[in-house]
Amino acid sequence: MNTNEAKEKLLLYRDPIDDADPQFREALAYAHRNPELAEWLREQAGCYQAIRSKLRDVEAPRDLAEKIIRNQPIRFCMDWTQILKLAAAIIISAGITAASLELWHRGKRPVLQGQEIVVKGEVLDLTCYVAYNWSGPKHASCAMDCIKSGLPVGIKTEDGKVYLLTGKEAHVNDQLADYAAKVVTVRGKETARDGFAQIQVEEIRKF
Amino acid sequence: MSADPEFENLVKLYYRDLYRFGFSLTGSEVDATDLTQETFYIWANKRHQLRNPGNVKGWLFTTLRREFLKICRHRKRVAHEPINEDAQNFPHVSADVVNRIDAQTLLNVLGEIDEGYRAPLVLYYLEDLSYKQIGEVLAIPLGTVQSRIARAKIKLFELLTETKPRTAA
Repeated sequence: MNTNEAKEKLLLYRDPIDDADPQFREALAYAHRNPELAEWLREQAGCYQAIRSKLRDVEAPRDLAEKIIRNQPIRFCMDWTQILKLAAAIIISAGITAASLELWHRGKRPVLQGQEIVVKGEVLDLTCYVAYNWSGPKHASCAMDCIKSGLPVGIKTEDGKVYLLTGKEAHVNDQLADYAAKVVTVRGKETARDGFAQIQVEEIRKF
Repeated sequence: MSADPEFENLVKLYYRDLYRFGFSLTGSEVDATDLTQETFYIWANKRHQLRNPGNVKGWLFTTLRREFLKICRHRKRVAHEPINEDAQNFPHVSADVVNRIDAQTLLNVLGEIDEGYRAPLVLYYLEDLSYKQIGEVLAIPLGTVQSRIARAKIKLFELLTETKPRTAA
């Protein structure tokens, strides 16, 4: 090993972090025998410490930890038993509401049927939206998981109206999961059942 | 008060380290704050997916760097000078030279180094990580880590020799 080879090796050496790293052993031994190289290594160590101190002296804002903790997203999506309980609760309350409306409107309730409409809006995971008013990009990952798992999917139009999205004979969750929290345009038949506005989707276009 | 003590403990333990890493990568307080926050929120949503919960710090650093790269992709890319591969022409920079510049100048200089080289160099200086651990954080092989750090260090020293020290007001 010559001085240049030793320098090339020791360029990466950090005292004491790399002391146990065998790749530096030979070059360090060489530096012990070579005063000029030892001096160069000392200068390198000083320079390393100076840069390290400058970078480590950077202080985080005082209130950063509190801010992060305060705005912590609520753990919800990962607890599937909670999701299922919530979905069951929504279905039961929707069922009770529907039954009440049925009794109230018996004999005079028209089933609104299908005018074709085209709406543009954000794809919603309806469970979280109805229960907690969660929507938007920060909730996208959760919304995608919920929609993929088969929970009700909806769309919120620019004028604030929310529709349940259904397929003709099957769910449209698989087609919409990737668009969770994104804006899409949907064409389909507008219907209403017991007061719930819904669209039977025929075409989805990513806006 | 957080309803999630695990999240709160993790934030208190690592927010400074993550902020420093973010600040050294971006040179911006706002970006470093955003990156730090986003990293913890990603952890909060994905903690159950961690394969090795013992290496949570490494996971946080990896995630922050991934978010940083997303920012880079969305912003106009800055053309960086090519990195010199010749380690023989290693410029001499003393500790005094570094001490004469302020932290912001150092961050500006780091910002002139290509992102692919900047992250390993920052971890080399900031954290007590072995080269193997740096490679794990950045998901690059050990040999690549070392060559990138060596080249980035030479580039940093070249830039520092061209940097004027701060002058007293």
